[in-house]
Amino acid sequence: MLRVDDLTKTYMLGDRSVAGGVRHVSFDVAAGEFYTLLGPSGCGKTTTLRAIAGLEEPSEGRIDIDGRVVFNSATGAFVAANQRNIGMVFQSYAVWPHMTVFDNVAFPLRMSRSRRYGESDIRAKVEHTLETMGLAAFASRSAAQLSGGQQQRLSLARALVAEPRLLLLDEPLSNLDALLREQMRSELRRLQQDIGVTAIYVTHDQAEALALSDRVAVMRDGAIVQVGTPKQVYYTPADEFVATFIGRSNLLHGRIDRDVAPNTQAIVQSAIGPVICTFADSAPAAHPVLAMIRPEHLVLAPADAAPGAARGPNHFSGRIANVAFLGETTEYTVRVAETEIIVRMPAGELVGGADVTVLLPPDRTLGVSNPAAAKI
Amino acid sequence: MSSLTISGRHPLSPFGITPKVVILVLILGIGTIPPLLFLIFASVHSFNPDGSFAEMTLAHFHEIFTSRAFFTSLFNSVVYSFGSALLALAIGAAQAWLAERTDAPFRQWLYVTAIISLGIPYVLYIVAWLLFLGKAGSVNQLLAFLFGGTGPYINVNSLGGMIFIEGMLWSPLAFLLLSSVFRNADAAFEEAATMCGASLPATLRHVTFGMAQPALFALALLVFIKASESFEVPALVGLPGGTRVVTTTVYQRLTLDMPPSVGSASALGVLLLVVMAVLLHFYGRLSAQAHRFRTVTGKGFRPRVIRLGRWRYPVTVLIALIPIVVVIIPLVTIIWAALLPFYQPFSIDGLSRLRLTNFIQVLTSPSARGAVFNSLVLGAATATLVTALGAVAGWCVARRVTGGRLIDALAALPLVFPAIVLGLAYLQILVHGVALYGTLLSLILVSAVAYIPYGLRYAQLGVIQIHPELEEAAGIAGAGYPSTFVRVVLPLLVPALISCWLFVFLLAVRAMALVLLLAGPESQVVAVSLFDLWNNGPIGEVAALGFVWTVIMTFFSVAFFVLARRYQLPIG
Repeated sequence: MLRVDDLTKTYMLGDRSVAGGVRHVSFDVAAGEFYTLLGPSGCGKTTTLRAIAGLEEPSEGRIDIDGRVVFNSATGAFVAANQRNIGMVFQSYAVWPHMTVFDNVAFPLRMSRSRRYGESDIRAKVEHTLETMGLAAFASRSAAQLSGGQQQRLSLARALVAEPRLLLLDEPLSNLDALLREQMRSELRRLQQDIGVTAIYVTHDQAEALALSDRVAVMRDGAIVQVGTPKQVYYTPADEFVATFIGRSNLLHGRIDRDVAPNTQAIVQSAIGPVICTFADSAPAAHPVLAMIRPEHLVLAPADAAPGAARGPNHFSGRIANVAFLGETTEYTVRVAETEIIVRMPAGELVGGADVTVLLPPDRTLGVSNPAAAKI
Repeated sequence: MSSLTISGRHPLSPFGITPKVVILVLILGIGTIPPLLFLIFASVHSFNPDGSFAEMTLAHFHEIFTSRAFFTSLFNSVVYSFGSALLALAIGAAQAWLAERTDAPFRQWLYVTAIISLGIPYVLYIVAWLLFLGKAGSVNQLLAFLFGGTGPYINVNSLGGMIFIEGMLWSPLAFLLLSSVFRNADAAFEEAATMCGASLPATLRHVTFGMAQPALFALALLVFIKASESFEVPALVGLPGGTRVVTTTVYQRLTLDMPPSVGSASALGVLLLVVMAVLLHFYGRLSAQAHRFRTVTGKGFRPRVIRLGRWRYPVTVLIALIPIVVVIIPLVTIIWAALLPFYQPFSIDGLSRLRLTNFIQVLTSPSARGAVFNSLVLGAATATLVTALGAVAGWCVARRVTGGRLIDALAALPLVFPAIVLGLAYLQILVHGVALYGTLLSLILVSAVAYIPYGLRYAQLGVIQIHPELEEAAGIAGAGYPSTFVRVVLPLLVPALISCWLFVFLLAVRAMALVLLLAGPESQVVAVSLFDLWNNGPIGEVAALGFVWTVIMTFFSVAFFVLARRYQLPIG
C-alpha cells in the first residue's frame, strides 16, 4: 500500500550546517494497517509524514502510494500534495474558523478533481460523515465555536469524507486533555478498523503507539531503530534507546565471556553479579552487553521468607529504599549492591528499609549487544 | 483573578473606587469632555459680532441640511474615503502576502519602503505628488510629449487625484498591519486545504484570504474612517480644484468664508462626530471578530513560504514597482524641487541649475530652525505625556479595576474627533477661556488629548501579556501597590511603552490638521510651516525643509519599527 524507500531529507541551516531531517529511511505499510512512527521530538517522524503527504520534497529516495510513484529522486517525479488523494489530520486540527462545520467537511469534495460531486451528493456524504463522527447537530455552526475534542473529530471527518486510501495523522491527540485523549484513542482505532483505511500515525507518546498500532517504527535521530508489533518493541527492544523510550526498564551494563547465538541464554557479568539473560540476537564477546528487565517482571520476596533462596541463580539480596503507592500497582525502589532496581507489584506488606530478595526471571531478562557503550 | 489585591491602604481592588482612579478619571475627563461640550454648544448657538455666544438656535443644522453643497461634499467624502480604502487595502494586502508568505526576491525592501514612508510628513508627501502629477509636472509633460497638444492630460486636483494620494499615504500602514495577520496565520490551515486537493489559487481564495477576511474588512473600514476624517489631502489636493469634502468644508466655513461661521463649522463637526462614532462602533466589532479567528493555533506552529516558481519574475517587477511609487518618486521629486531655484519638471537642462541654495536658506533661517525645534519639543512632550498617562490608564483597563470602563470610554472619546474638528473645538476653548492660545504648551496638551487613545491601547496590550500572577506574587512578597507597579509592571512594560512613545511622537509631528488652527507665530511647527510655505512661498524651500525633516524622522521610524518587530507589538 505504502512503500518508502531510502528516504532522505536534510535541512540546511543559515550557516550551511545540516540539521534534523531523516536519513535513509525505508519501510512498507500493508493495506488496512495502522502504522505508527514513534520517537522523541526532532527524530524525523513528522518530516517523514510530511514527505509522504507531499508537503515536503525529500532530497532523495522514493515513495509509492497504492502502486503509484508519488516521489522518485532518480527520475525527478513529484506528485503535488493536492493530487495524492490522502486524508490528513493536523496536530492543531487546522479546522478553518471562517467556515461552518458543514463547509469544512464539504471542502475536499468540492475540490476533488478525480470525481465531480453534485451538491446533493456532497450534502449526503457530508451529513453521513458528520453522523458517524457525532457532529450532525453542529453542521451549521461556525467551526471556531467547537470545543477541542469536537474540532478534533471535525478534522478527522474532513480527512475521511473523500474516502482516501491513506490517512495521515500528525500527533492528533496531543492537544487534548488526558481523559478525552483516551476516549479519542479507542474511537480512532475502532473507526480505522471499520473503514479499513490505511493509517500512518505520528506520535511521541509510547502509550498511544502501543494501544493503537498494528506495527510501530521507533525512530531516533532521523533513522528507524526498530520496527515491530507493540508487543515486540515492548518485550524485545532492540537497544537501550528503545528500552528506555518505551515503558520503564531496569538496565544493567555488563560483559559476556563467549559469543552468544540468537535465542539462547548466557550469563552476563553485571554490577550486581552474574545474571542469566535470554538473547534474542547474537552478541559477540568483544562487545559490552546490556541486561534489561521490565519493573513488572521482577519478583520481590521478604529476605526471611525463604532463607536459602537467595543462593539460587538470578536471586539477589537487597533492601527497599523507597515505596511509592501508584494505585493499580506499587513501585519499590530496591538497592542491590550499589544499583537501584525498580520493581512494580501489586501492593503488599513490604515497607521501606525491609531486607528483600529480588528475582530476575531468566526468560524475562533480555540480553542485548550494546556496541555503543564501547565507544564511550 | 485578574485584579491585584494587596493588603495595604489603597488596594486597587474591584470592590471600591480609589482616589487614584478618581484622579485619573478627572484628568482624562478634563481633557476629553470639554471639547465635546463646546462643540455641541457652539453648534446650537448664534454668535455676536465679537465672537461671544448669542441665543440658542438650530439654524446651523437647518442651513446644512438644506444646502446642496453639503450633500455634494458628503458624497465626495464617501467616494474619496471608499476609493482610498480600496486602493490602500489592495496595495497593502498584496505586499503583506508577498512579504510574509512567499519566497519573492527583494521582499525585505517592502519593509524598508514602509518604514521610510512613516517618517515623511503628510504635507510633504502630498506636495511631492502634486509636483509630479500637477499641470506642470513630469507626467503631464511626458503625456504631452507622447500625444502632442498642450492641455494637461491628468488633473490631479480631482477626486481621482485625492484617492490616489490618500491611498498611497495609507498603503504602508495597511501593509504593516496586514503583514502581522499573514505572519501569525498557522500554515497548517493552508496545508490542510492542500491535502484536501485544493490548488494554490483555490487555497489562497478559500483559506488564506478567506481567513484574513475579517481583518481585511476591519482594516478597510479603518482606512475609510481615517480618510473621511483626513484633512491634509482634501485641503491641498481637493480645494484648489474645487472638490470639497466634509472636513474641508469645516475649515472653509471657519477661515475662508466671509464672515467666518463658527456655529456652522461646529454643527458640521457634530455631524461628523456622530458618523465617526457609528463607524468606530462597527470597526470595534469587526476587529474583535478578526481577532477571534487568530486564536486557533496549535503547538506545531510553523511558518510556510510558498514557492513562486515561474511567477517569480512578474512578482519581482511588482516588488520593484511598489517602493518606486510609494517612496522613490515622491522623495526624488522633493530632492529635485529642493535643488532648483524655480520648480520645473525633470529634465536634462534642469541639471545645470541644481544648487544647494534652498538647503542653505532653510538651515540658516531662524523661522525654519524654530519650527524644527518646536516640532521636536511638541513630539517629545506629547509622546511622554501620552505614554505616562496611557501606562496607568492601560493598566487600570486591562486589570478591570473599578472605574476601568469609565477610563476606557473617556480615553477612547478623542477617537471620534476628526483632527480638524478637535482643533476647532479646542480653538473655542482657548479663545473663550484659557489664556494659552497660540502657545506651544497648548499644542502639546491638545495633541496629548488627541493621541491618548493610542497610548492606552499600547499599554493595555502590554499589560495583558503580563500574567496577573506576577503582580500577585509581588503582593504576597510584601510589596505595596506603588512598588508593584514601579518594580514589576513598568519594567515588563518598557518595550510596549517605548514603542508607544515613538509611535505617538511620529503621529504628533507628522500630522498638520490638528494644530493648523491652533499654532501661533510663537509656536510654528514643521507640518504647519510646510503648509503655509506651500500656500505662499517658494516650492524649493518647502521641499528643502521637508527633506531635512524627513531624514530626521527616518531615524525615529526605524527605531519604532525595530522595537515593534522584536516585541511583536501590533503597529498602530
